[in-house]
Amino acid sequence: MENKRRLFLKGACATAVGAVASTKFVAAQPETETIEADVNYALIHDETKCIGCEVCVDACRETNNVPEGVSRLEIVKTGPFGEYPEQYFRFSRKSCQHCDATPCVNVCPTGAAYKDPKTGIVSVDSWKCVGCMYCIAACPYQIRFINPVTKAADKCDFCKETRLKEGKQPACVTACPTKALVFGNLKDPDSEIVKVLKATPNYRSKTELGTRPKLFRIAAKEGEIVL
Amino acid sequence: MNPFHFDSLIWHWPIAIYLFLAGISAGAICFAVLLKHFKLGKDAYKSSFVQAACLLAPLAVFAGLGILVLDLTKPFDFWKILVFYNPTSIMSVGVAVLMIYQVALFAWLACLFKEPISNWCDHRWPVVDRVLNVLTRHEPTVTGLLVILALSLGAYTGFLLSALTTYPMLNNPVLPILFLVSGISSGAAGTLLGGLLLKGNPDGKEVHFIHHIEIPLILFELVLIFTFFIGLIISGGQSQVAAFTALGQGFWGWIFWAGIILVGLTLPLAFNLFMTASSKRKLSYVAITASCSLLGVLLLRNFILYTGQMTVA
Repeated sequence: MENKRRLFLKGACATAVGAVASTKFVAAQPETETIEADVNYALIHDETKCIGCEVCVDACRETNNVPEGVSRLEIVKTGPFGEYPEQYFRFSRKSCQHCDATPCVNVCPTGAAYKDPKTGIVSVDSWKCVGCMYCIAACPYQIRFINPVTKAADKCDFCKETRLKEGKQPACVTACPTKALVFGNLKDPDSEIVKVLKATPNYRSKTELGTRPKLFRIAAKEGEIVL
Repeated sequence: MNPFHFDSLIWHWPIAIYLFLAGISAGAICFAVLLKHFKLGKDAYKSSFVQAACLLAPLAVFAGLGILVLDLTKPFDFWKILVFYNPTSIMSVGVAVLMIYQVALFAWLACLFKEPISNWCDHRWPVVDRVLNVLTRHEPTVTGLLVILALSLGAYTGFLLSALTTYPMLNNPVLPILFLVSGISSGAAGTLLGGLLLKGNPDGKEVHFIHHIEIPLILFELVLIFTFFIGLIISGGQSQVAAFTALGQGFWGWIFWAGIILVGLTLPLAFNLFMTASSKRKLSYVAITASCSLLGVLLLRNFILYTGQMTVA
């Protein structure tokens, strides 16, 4: 009996050490995740220019074959703010933020959610996806959905499989009548996106969660901020 | 806001049932091990309560996994979870734990039922005897591994939800311990109820033993629930909003105060204390206490899952 107990204790201690060591491994994850590539795509939504016409939404649906009832891109309208006749609305883009530290990729059990190491674009391998919806729950921006046709998780991929392949800009960017969207490579100092980001004050959504989103926003009038 | 349908809701009640069943399985097998090692010894397999736990543990885990697979949007692709692994995904780690747990579970069951299995085979297949002998020689290892895996499984159901940074109420370090402890108490209740159905003695030493563990377990659960919500409230911001949304008025507020705190924890605690004091146990007392406990844990799983998804960070 004494011997058995000692054997059990030995095993238990070894497992405990292993379990604690594995937490260190998990904790060390975010640092190793930063990728070193020449291309790191990002998007700016200039809320001062956006008029809420939703042409971008239609262009996205058409280009990427997004079925009815779901969408990769939405324009969220809030307001009106201020007193008549000085009233205005605020338009905010709801789509994938292509985070640098990706909650969806971290939780995906099969690796179907992944970040393309060459472009920094967060994508879904719809074949590998089993539809557990863990990534949908994990996304703090709530932009993922189940595609009713493929039954896989789906979301904006900066038109990676459609327009980008042809060397063109994403459909929403080209379609925007007021040029409120700027798409480009953050690693290229001469790109338009870097110039705009350097010249204009901008913000990102839910940065306190540490996701480092790459959808930059240029704020309209500070309608929602109360001092 | 409809309590069962709201915009930020992603995981519905089948997930709560799965979390409940995984907890029961882990808890039941812990009690089977404890009963064998501290009360019954070699003849453990003859006890109705041990038999109930040994039936409950594999059946609950199979049923839970079945529900989980059916809940996928692509149920026929479930094998991809078994083939592809992602070490940063709690779900992936949990699937691995579940698989090894089932192996350890059946190895331990084989050790426990060695005599009846050998007798039933009547030495017709020498392979069976040889495997059983190897297993019994390593029984302490198998038992230790099984207990560690069962505890991991119980905690995993909590980690699965606490990994979601989206929902401040779920993204809470107390959740895995709360789920582990409530899972173990549901395992105790399941073992008692199953044992009674298999015509076990409601005043037997197994019931006394389980009840003695249940009392501190329920008290600890109350402390954990208190810590869980106080932690959320003093964190402020969306965590505080989440706590007040969950505990406040409305359907889920009632489920919490009447279903979980009163029926699920206070009544079983009172019955347990009463039965320990009077030291006489009747079938109806034991059955009602166990049913209250089980109902409470099932409600707790649903409550945490639904209210947890109501508030977004």
